[in-house]
This record gives sequence, C-alpha cells and structure tokens, in this order.
Amino acid sequence: MSAIDRRPPVKRYEHGSRVPGWDEAVDLTKPPATVPDPALTPVPEELRAAIEAEMAKYPDSKSASIPALHLAQRHHGWCSPEAIDQVACVMRLTPAYLTSVASFYDMFYLQPKPSNDVFVCTNITCSLLGADEFYAAMSQAAEGHDVSVRGFECLGGCDIAPMASVNGEYVGPLHLDDARLIVEDLEAGRPVLEHKQLRHRACADPGAASSAGAPDSVPPNPAAPEEPR
Amino acid sequence: MTRHLLFDRIDEPGLNTLSVYEKRGGYGALRKSLELPPAAIIEEIKQSAIRGRGGAGFQMGMKASFLPKGDMAKYLVCNADESEPGTFKDRELMQKSPHTLIEGMIITTFAAGIHHAFIYIRGEYQLQADILDAAVAEAEAAGYLGEDILGSGHSLKLVVHRGAGAYICGEETGLLDSLEGKRGNPRLKPPFPAIEGLYHGPTLVNNVETLGTVPTIMNMGGGEYAKIGAQGSTGTKLISVSGDVQRPGNYEIELGTSSRDIIYGLCGGPKEGRKVKMWFPGGSSSPVLLEQDLDLAYDFDTMAKAGSMLGSGAIIVIDDSHSAFEVAQKVVKFYTHESCGKCVPCREGTNWTQKFLARIESGEATPMDLDILASVQTQIIGNCLCVLGDAMAMPIGSIVVKFRDELEAEIEAARERANAPIYAAA
Amino acid sequence: MPRPEQKLINLTIDGREVQAVEGSMLIDAAKQGDVEIPFFCYEPKLGEPVGACRMCLVEIEGIPKLQTSCSTPARDGMVVNTQVERVVDAQNAVIEFLLVNHPLDCPVCDKGGECPLQDYTFGWGRGRSRVIEPKRHFVKPLALSPLIAIDRERCILCYRCVRFSQEISEDWQLIFTERGAHTFVGTHDGHPYVAPFSGNIIELCPVGALTSQPYRFRARPWDIEGAGGICTLCPSQCNVEFTVRDDKVTRVLARENPGVDDGWLCDKGRFAYQAIHVDERITEPLVRDESGELKPAGWDEALQAARAVAGHRGRTAALIGGQASNEEAFMLGRIVREGLGSRDIDSRPRGSVELDLARALAAPALQAGVQDLEFAHTVLVLGTEPLDDSPILDLRIRKGVRRNGVKLAIASARPSALDPNSELSIRYAPGAEAEFLSGLEWAFEHPGSGPTHDLAQMLRDGGEDVVILWGESLPAEALATLLRIADKLGLAGRDGAGLLEVPTGTNSRGIREAGALPNAGPGYSEVDAGRSAAEIAEAAIAGDVTALYLFQVDPVRDLPGRARWERALANATVVVAHASVLTDGIAAHADVVFPAESSAEKEGTIVHPDGRLQRLRSAIKRPGQVRAGWQVLADIAKATSVETGVLTAGMAFKQLVAAVPFYAGLTLEEIGGRGVRWPETEAAAAMPAGKVPASATPGSSGTQAESNGHLRVGTYRSIWASPEVDISPALQFTVAEQLVELSPEDALRLGIEQGAAVQVAQNGTRLSGRAAIRSGVPVGTAFLAAGIAKDSANALTENLVEVVKA
Repeated sequence: MSAIDRRPPVKRYEHGSRVPGWDEAVDLTKPPATVPDPALTPVPEELRAAIEAEMAKYPDSKSASIPALHLAQRHHGWCSPEAIDQVACVMRLTPAYLTSVASFYDMFYLQPKPSNDVFVCTNITCSLLGADEFYAAMSQAAEGHDVSVRGFECLGGCDIAPMASVNGEYVGPLHLDDARLIVEDLEAGRPVLEHKQLRHRACADPGAASSAGAPDSVPPNPAAPEEPR
Repeated sequence: MTRHLLFDRIDEPGLNTLSVYEKRGGYGALRKSLELPPAAIIEEIKQSAIRGRGGAGFQMGMKASFLPKGDMAKYLVCNADESEPGTFKDRELMQKSPHTLIEGMIITTFAAGIHHAFIYIRGEYQLQADILDAAVAEAEAAGYLGEDILGSGHSLKLVVHRGAGAYICGEETGLLDSLEGKRGNPRLKPPFPAIEGLYHGPTLVNNVETLGTVPTIMNMGGGEYAKIGAQGSTGTKLISVSGDVQRPGNYEIELGTSSRDIIYGLCGGPKEGRKVKMWFPGGSSSPVLLEQDLDLAYDFDTMAKAGSMLGSGAIIVIDDSHSAFEVAQKVVKFYTHESCGKCVPCREGTNWTQKFLARIESGEATPMDLDILASVQTQIIGNCLCVLGDAMAMPIGSIVVKFRDELEAEIEAARERANAPIYAAA
Repeated sequence: MPRPEQKLINLTIDGREVQAVEGSMLIDAAKQGDVEIPFFCYEPKLGEPVGACRMCLVEIEGIPKLQTSCSTPARDGMVVNTQVERVVDAQNAVIEFLLVNHPLDCPVCDKGGECPLQDYTFGWGRGRSRVIEPKRHFVKPLALSPLIAIDRERCILCYRCVRFSQEISEDWQLIFTERGAHTFVGTHDGHPYVAPFSGNIIELCPVGALTSQPYRFRARPWDIEGAGGICTLCPSQCNVEFTVRDDKVTRVLARENPGVDDGWLCDKGRFAYQAIHVDERITEPLVRDESGELKPAGWDEALQAARAVAGHRGRTAALIGGQASNEEAFMLGRIVREGLGSRDIDSRPRGSVELDLARALAAPALQAGVQDLEFAHTVLVLGTEPLDDSPILDLRIRKGVRRNGVKLAIASARPSALDPNSELSIRYAPGAEAEFLSGLEWAFEHPGSGPTHDLAQMLRDGGEDVVILWGESLPAEALATLLRIADKLGLAGRDGAGLLEVPTGTNSRGIREAGALPNAGPGYSEVDAGRSAAEIAEAAIAGDVTALYLFQVDPVRDLPGRARWERALANATVVVAHASVLTDGIAAHADVVFPAESSAEKEGTIVHPDGRLQRLRSAIKRPGQVRAGWQVLADIAKATSVETGVLTAGMAFKQLVAAVPFYAGLTLEEIGGRGVRWPETEAAAAMPAGKVPASATPGSSGTQAESNGHLRVGTYRSIWASPEVDISPALQFTVAEQLVELSPEDALRLGIEQGAAVQVAQNGTRLSGRAAIRSGVPVGTAFLAAGIAKDSANALTENLVEVVKA
C-alpha cells in the first residue's frame, strides 16, 4: 500500500456532480486485466456459440462487441465483470475494452439490476405532457418489486407521450394509474398494458389507412382511464 | 398538402411480410433497376434532387457520386438510429413496411457497387429490429439478398445491427465507430465517410427514409419525383409532430406545405384555449420558431432562411401553458447527457450550461448571467468536433434571445423564492 | 518497403512564408515559421490525430469553419491565420471550458511549473474566469498502479494516456469509462494498470492528472536539472534524461531518438533508477578479511588486494557483464592479454562463436537498424521475446505492423506477446533452434506445405526488405544456417533489410568489438584463442585457472550452470569483482569488490545492437567512494605492468578507436547525444570479412530422452529479472520470481492450478515456484525463469524436469 491510500478522504463540496467509479482507486492486489486466457476463463457454451455467430456477421469481428454485450447481459442479467471477462475471452479483447464500450451506452448495466426494465421517457415532448409526474409515480410503484425504473432520453415514441419502454415494449400515453398496472402486468407475466402498446397503433396520417382497416385490431381497453393530456 | 408515397396504405395488415409487399408491386423497382447500368440509377437519384432525410439535408445523389469507383470494399450503412428528440418517423416505416427500406438499399448498393450493407438501428427499437431481421431473412430466402441477386450478378450481405442507447451514434461518424464495435465517438472530418468510412473503406451513410424513397424514385423516374415538393426541397417528407397538438403522430406531406396547415390542419393544433408559444421545426436541435412563423412553408430552404432548420422533420409544438425555461432545461439536460465527451467545448459547454440553469432555478443567478449564458453558447458553436455541441447551443441561444424577458422574470421569481439578497449585496 | 518521400511545399502562416514537408500537419509546419500553436491532445507518436481538445483551431483561407491544425495537412499555397480574432476567441473559449472543472490546485500539484495547461492558460487564455459554478470534486489522488497516481479532478480527457495503452503498447488496459462530462480514465473492475510500459503515460499527461508515485513531491522544476544519458538495463539502450536534484537522480524521462527508442521507455528503465540511491548499493571498496567476511576498505587496501591477480600470470580469467562500457572491456582485455599473459576472457554467456562466423554476423552490410523494423516488408522474430529481452523493440514491431502493414512472423520455443500481431507463429521445441533453421533452409529449396514452408514463402515472396530479429540464445550451430538464409534472401547490402541481434547483455556488441572474446581481439582481430566462459568454469574447478576477474557480472546469477560456477568461484584463489549489488556469487566468493558505477555516473561509450555507438555521460557525482571503472582498471593495469596512460575517459575512448579499425575517425563530439551507427560510416570497410560456412550436414536432431511424464525445459528471462529491479523500492511489486509456465493440458494432468506453489525437480536440484498456466505453451514443455535472484532456472543442468504440486 502506498502512502496515498492511507490518507483519509477530504470532505469538500458535496454538490459537485458525482459519478460511480470516480472515487474508486484500483485494487493493488489484483493482477492486471489482460486478454483472458481461454484455459482459465470458462464460458457457457450457448453464450460462446451466440457470440461467435455474431462475430461471423462482420468483416471485422470486433464489430460484434455491442451485440455480444447484449447477449452477455441477457445471460447474466447485467454486464458483470464475469460477463465481460467471458465476452473478452471469446472475442480476444481485453475486459477493459469492453467495459469502456459498455459504459458508453445507456442500455448496458455495469451494476446489478432488477430483471424488469422500465425506461420512462423524460425528454421534451413527454415531459410537456406529464412524464416527470409519471416517472415519480412509476418509481414509487416499483419500490419493493423486481423492476428497475430509469428516466430515459427520447425513445422515439413522442406520438404516445408520455410513454415508457417496458422490457422493450413501447406503451403510452400513460396515466399515473398505469404505473401500478405496469408492475402488476410484469409480476403476472402478462403483456404489459396491451391496449396501450405502440405496436397496435395506427399511423396518424389519414392516407396510411388500408382499405382493410387498422393494422391489427387494438384490444379493447378494460379500464379506459381518461388520458392525461 | 398530404401526398402518399411511403405512407400509402402503410397500415395494410401484413405489409411487413414479403408476400403482401410483393402483391403491392414490391421489389418491382429493384427488378427494373437491375436492368439498368448502375450509373443510370445514380443519375435518376441525382435528378430527383432528393435531400437527405436524416437532418443534414445533403443531396443523396451527390453524396453517392463522391464514392470512389472501382473494385474495393465499400459499404452502405443505413442510419436507423433515430434519436433526435421528437423524431419517430423511421420507426413507423421500418415497423410497417421494412421491405421498402431493404429494396431501397439493394438498389443503392447495386448502383454504387457495394456488397456489404448494414442497418444501424437504435437498441431501443427492439420491435422494429425484430421485424427487420425477419424481413431480411425473408428477402434472403427469396433471393433478393445474397449472391447473384435475381440473376443480376450483384451480391449483397445485409446485417441488422442494434445499437445500445447513445444519441451520438446518430451522427454518421459516431455511428461508424459504434458499428466497428467501439465507443460511438464521432471522428474528425475530413476524411468524410464517402472517402474513408467503415473499416477505412468508402462508405455511404443514408437515413432510413432517404433509402426508403429510392424505390419510389426508380418507379416514378427522378424527373417526375423532382416535380413534387418545392424548389430546392423536392418530394414528400415524413414528419413527426408531437407535443401540444391534438393529433400527434407521423404524417407524409409534400415539402413546401405551410407549417400552419401541418400544425393546425393535420394535427389539430394545441387544445382549446391554448396557443402555440414556440415550435421546434426539426427536432430539439433546431432553433425555435414562434407563432408568427407558422405561415412559413415547411421546406429546407425556408426553414434555414428563418434561422432554423428542417432537420429530421420532427415538429415539437409547445403551447403557452409551458415556460421557456422549462423547455431550455429539458433541451440542455438531454444534450449534456448525450455529449460523448470527446471534445472540450461540447463536453464542458453542455455541462456548464446545465449548471448555469441549475443556478437560475435555485435563485442564485441574476439577469446579467443571461449574457454569459448566451456567450457560452457562441463559444460552443463552430468550435466542436461534431454538431452535437451546436445542437444544444443553437436552440438555447435562440431561446435566450427570443424569450429574454420571460427568462429574466423567471430569474427574478426564483430569487424571490430563494430569498436571495439584492444584487448589490453580492 | 520504401519509406515515404518528403516533398517541400510553401505556405503562409500569419503572413510569414513557410517551407514545410508536404502532408505534415499545420501545427508542425507552423513551427517552421516560429509560430506556436497550442495543443493538448496532439501527439504524433500516438498515431492519427484525434482533434479532441480543439485548442489548435486555426483559420484557413477558403474554408469557412475553423480547422484543427493538428489534423490538417499542409498544402502548397495555403494561407493560415492563428492570430485573428475568431481564432483567439476560440482558444480563449477552449481554455475557459477546460477550467470549468479543472481544480486549479496548482500550488499542490506535482506538474506545477512544467504544465502545458498552466502555460497555455497564461499564453492563450483570457486571464479571468466567469465560472462560479461548483467544480467536480473527488477523492484524490488515487492509486492507478503502484507506480502511478491518478487525480481525476485535474484530468482534461485529452486521450493521450488511453491512446498510449491502445495504440502504442496495445495492452488495452487503460480506458475511458462512461460518457460526456462523466467520462473518466480507469481500468476494468478495479484492476491496476500494470503493464511493462505504463510509466509513459505519466510523461504524456499534459496536466497533473497522472503522476509518478516515486517522484511525487520530490522536486519543483526549478530545483532540478536534466542530464542526457543512456539506460543500460537492457540492449535497447534507450536514450533518457535523468532528472537530477542535489546530485541524485530523482526521475528518468525519455529522450526521444527515432533510431533507438522512438521516445518511449519501459517501466524498468523509468523506475529502476532508484537502485542508484539505495542502501543495498555498494559505494565503497570491500575486501574479504581473515574471518572470511567482506568488509569496507579503503581504495589503497582494495587495490593492493586486487593486485594479487598479478601473481596469477597465465592463470587469470576474466568475465565481463553487459553493462560494461567499450572502454572498460578494452582495458580489461589489455590487462588479461598483455598484463597477465592469459587468453581467457569472455563476455558471451552461452558459448563462443567461431571467429569467421562472428565476423560474418557482425558484417556491416548485413546489419539492420532499429527503424528498419518499422518499414520492412517482413519481420521475422527468431528465438527471442522482444518484450523481455529488449522491450522497446516490442513497441517498434507493433508500430510497424499497425501503421505500415509490416508482416510479422515469429519463430520461438515460448509463446510470444507479439503472437496476436503476427501472421505466422511457429513453435519449436526448446533447444531445437538449429533443427528448425535447417528445416527452414531446406524449405526454401524444396516445395512442400506446413508452417515452415509458409514462413519460407513469406520471407521470400513478401517483399525484399526482410529483417530478422534474432536472439543470442540461438546456439552456434544455428547461426551458420541463419547466415545462409540471409544470403538466400539477399539481405546483405540492402537498405532496410538485414539481421538484428538481440544480445543478452546491454553492451554485448560493443564489448565484443572491443575484444572481450576468447577468440577475437579488438575489432574482431585474430588472437590465440582462449577459453570460453563455460570452459573457464571447468578450468577453475580443475585448478588450471586460479584467479577470476568479474567485471559487472555474477556468473552464479547470470550464467548457465549455477552449481558449476559456485564450485569454480570457490576453487579460485583470487576473485576480484566490480559490482554495484552484492548478488549471491559475489557475496559468497569475491575477495575484493570494487564499487561499480551506475549508468548515470559512467563516462564512456556503448554500442547498440544495430551498431550505433552511444555515449554515456555522467549526470551525477559518483556516490560514496565509487571511482570510475576506467580509473580502477588503469590502476590494475599498472600493477600488471601495462602502462595504459589513460587519465580520462576520453583518453580511453581514443585508445579504443585506435585499436578498432572500423571505429576509425570517430570522436565523442560526433557521437554526441544521438549516436553514430558505425556500419554506416566509411570506416566500416575495415571490418574484417567473415565466412559463411557451407551447408553442414543436418545437425543431430537432438534425440530426445524418454520423457517419462517429465516436462521439457525452456527458459526465459523476464523483463523484471535484474538486480536493479530487485533493490528498487518502487518496483518491489514486480520483482521477478520463478513463474513456471505450463500448458493447460499438463496442468490438468498434474493437478496443478493457476498460481499454485510448485516444485521443479531434476537430479536432486529442487526449485520452488508458482504455476502460470498459459494457453499456447506446447504440451510437454515447461518454461522456467532465469536471471532471477532465487530459484533461477540456471540451476538446472538437464533438459527434462519433474513438476509437482508443492
């Protein structure tokens, strides 16, 4: 241990921005993180096969780093150091390279998280129409449940503002009561707010309508709460 | 006002499948194109004068002609990262008619001698990416993709690549780095992607809508297409209208349509008793326009002349129930979050601006600080590596200028709330 | 591969007509007109510009937006302005933005006074601040590694350190994490940034974000002086600048020499300077007293004791270590040959090489230079691991592959760090170098398939400029084959092609040229052949050699056959040593120990493996009682009735030049700070020609003894295996130990886990070590560390060992 590690941390401004990781020193007892040796890094077979399939799609296999991180995150629940080591081992990259990539993108988690994701859009359009209130309600509804709630930047669903992406499914326009329903649907393993799913929504342009009618029949809305606008 | 080329009966059930798409004449433009010499296709696109639909508005035909000729590894990358706040038009097209995009990409690669193409779709669009994946598989099975397409000798491998949530990957060079498996930091330009792009090869990067229009251009002929729309802004445009309007959503309009007709006519305007306070004509990166600008024609040049831009065609309407400060805060929060951090003016400028607004909100600012705020924006504009810094500084600059009185009042109100001392005491 | 041609063009910068190399960046071209353009991120050594800091924006007439001068190539007729208002505004803006979060804790910052951010803020900033928002504040400093402290508040995210890790050392350990204003420099999951070249990032950092743990708060810039020198810890001979305060070396910086080091240093070179000023260093003469203990003694007493060698005429032998200078080797040669009437002097640890062969290998026409590695069509790394044996060449080879598309082939027993960069990697069994090369020679003539044929084809058809980087560990019988292959490839006389040796010792080449070989005198002149190192040991055991003179070498640690050397030293009547550390052999057996100089003290010359004479200059006063090596040798010479007449280091150099024909005309002034490659001088013609032996019958293929479950032994010498590292406080975390490299298959078979304690046994010799399981190690082979203080592989005498769990 060098002298600087023994020094007590200095309390300064508490109101500067704070980022996880900034205040962390390295662990000097760890070895350097080089490209993992295949002999020392077991990788689940199905994960290895899936990553290798992604690598084969590209002229340069490094292009598969984002798809491979998606796969590892799905497999491990988050981009854990172990998950990153495994991707690094298959792709012959350093874990640091993948950590660097993963931390750049909003959809990768470098900390453990609950298994369900609710991204609440809090960008301009949604917030004009009440997203901040919904985000608060959603966060509250999710407390104590296996649901992670994040305020997200524009998800490209402004036509159903305020909206959220629940495990990838776009739903909206959302009412404050929907927060509770989302958690219930998730826990019951049901499709989430089926009547508010974007996938069933017709295009706003009058010319888009087919002679046959709307794209899919939108399921009836059981509760039909008044829309928040 | 509306004219339907891409959105024509797009809600037809099953249009996302090959059989329905083919029944409607899909891939006819491809068959026709494969009979032509590649140069003739580029010529048709040039004649159509179609300008890029992603935001920059650069003529597609011109961009394609920058690509060096000859036998080398060249790439086509479709920018489906659609992350500009307020924009969701490509989403609808990809979800409901993915083959339109695929057909446009095959024609373009044939014209440009490209054998490797990618669709970089934002990671959040999971439904649309799944639909594209299925459509690519169908097209491959039907011989529209792969080796020797329809006996033409042209071959194409098309890969759908999902991003993972970063606005900057919509910037074409950030997108290329991300597609190469790196952090999506924009690259220095020059070299431009057409000369040195993906894997150092010449690369054509086009928006979904632009590429999706190619089959239409080939069916109509470039000259005919150019007759649609306005001078310098040919064709139709998919627009996304959101915010304080009664019928938000995607519309296809002929370029040059009056903005009032769009916002009030198509979308029903703000709800009863409210009026338009300001509107972003082309996503949150465009300087805001006011109610008095509503009669401007909605096309590239008119928007530019009015000091803003058409951008991606995302109109965000804000009515008088909202404060300018609130809008500024949301814009700044977004760009601060999305700045990639590579270059100093953008990284520190967005960060500083956000702290500035926080200081206003907590009642620690004075109206004089607005001058510094405006000056910080001018210090960002033109000095950054890519356009993200400008994309915050331009709308914020415009809000400070156009709503100065309101912001000053907001500062005073915040000071009062915070019981801040009179200025002289500082 | 032809190097790019340079064409001059004219452009105007701030109204001045400037001539610059076409394609050079404006920021560099501007210097030709004495125009300074500020920058933080630009560093051409790191590869393509990134244009991230935006400090170097300039106005170019005809281009509407300001452009980064670090990324805009100069073109003929360009008109560039750096002093116009909008450029000044942009520079002011960038400085102001940088200071939004930079803590301005300059009074307590180690970089203060030599900080580009300070200088540019003064020169290009507005001089006042409009920022009243709170800055980021974090715990600081934090350890990034045992050698480097990181202060994230100060970091301006200029990309230099991460680019170094990714583009230069290619270790990809140091990264940017997170995005935007949250971005910070870090590593994966709290692992330290420990890598052989990590210290370079300290020097690259333009602010005080990365500081050297050993140097922190040792001095301010006005307390120190810089002194040019050469690092003598390995054959790379990197050019360095010693930071000196109060006659103590407190820091080592790179002194860029494109022909040698390209401006980089390894961590051994950067931090092992600490060995100069530690208690373990010998700083006064030692003499063994009656009780058998080494005791400090005065110079007179020590010299008197050492003069005892004069009584062993014809029975004294001398060994010279790689850190000796040319002059020291030359003078010692005179003492042995002229003064003591002996022929036994050697500097090669692994047996002698026939004179004809040695001359042929050193032939000027056949010598490749370091820079040729960067521009060759094909580089073959043969029987050496550059990362361990000459670390800075590892970086140079990577650079050639990365930037110039050099095709790399590796042929070695042990897996190489460069394997991932190579097109072809061939493994042969340890000790099978000669068979491998015979096979390669055969493959040139005979069609066939397989890796050896692929290599032959790569060398023959991949372009004429082939450089073969070969290790001194190649046995003598392999060298003739190597020369014939070089001949087939037409490497002799070809610019940009040739052979480049990686010798065991720092100055092995110069020492040989100065005549410290059993079969060659100064300048590879013919002499009556004497005994090689191994033969000296045998002779000492047999009593034929009774006095040993060890100049900066401890055969017990450094040479093969540890037990044999222990007996030889024990058997000798007189053992005189020059040493700076009491390593095992010296401590146990030397009768007289003269304190040796460090490279920061020594005056003299050394020769780089590519033939570049470089000059050592004394940067600090010799500590304690240390005297110059040439001076001690001159005194000893006098005792053996050789009147050298040497009164200064310069005089010793003159005598050397007079004795070595191919150095003719060289002066210290000419060698200067950059060195002179003698193979490129006219005098090189005076090098005696060698002969390439005709194809010999294929060597006995070394019939393998029945392995019987035992593993075949290969050895390696880690970059950290050096006595200087052993005693440098800052490097204690990395002191080399016995890491037994095993294949995963053997480890599994033997039930040995990664990092487990193991015993290596052979004929009653037992070594302790730890298992390092490594994919790529051939099944049936174990690689053991040599050159280390404890449990070194030089204790082994056979080529099979048993490895068991401890």
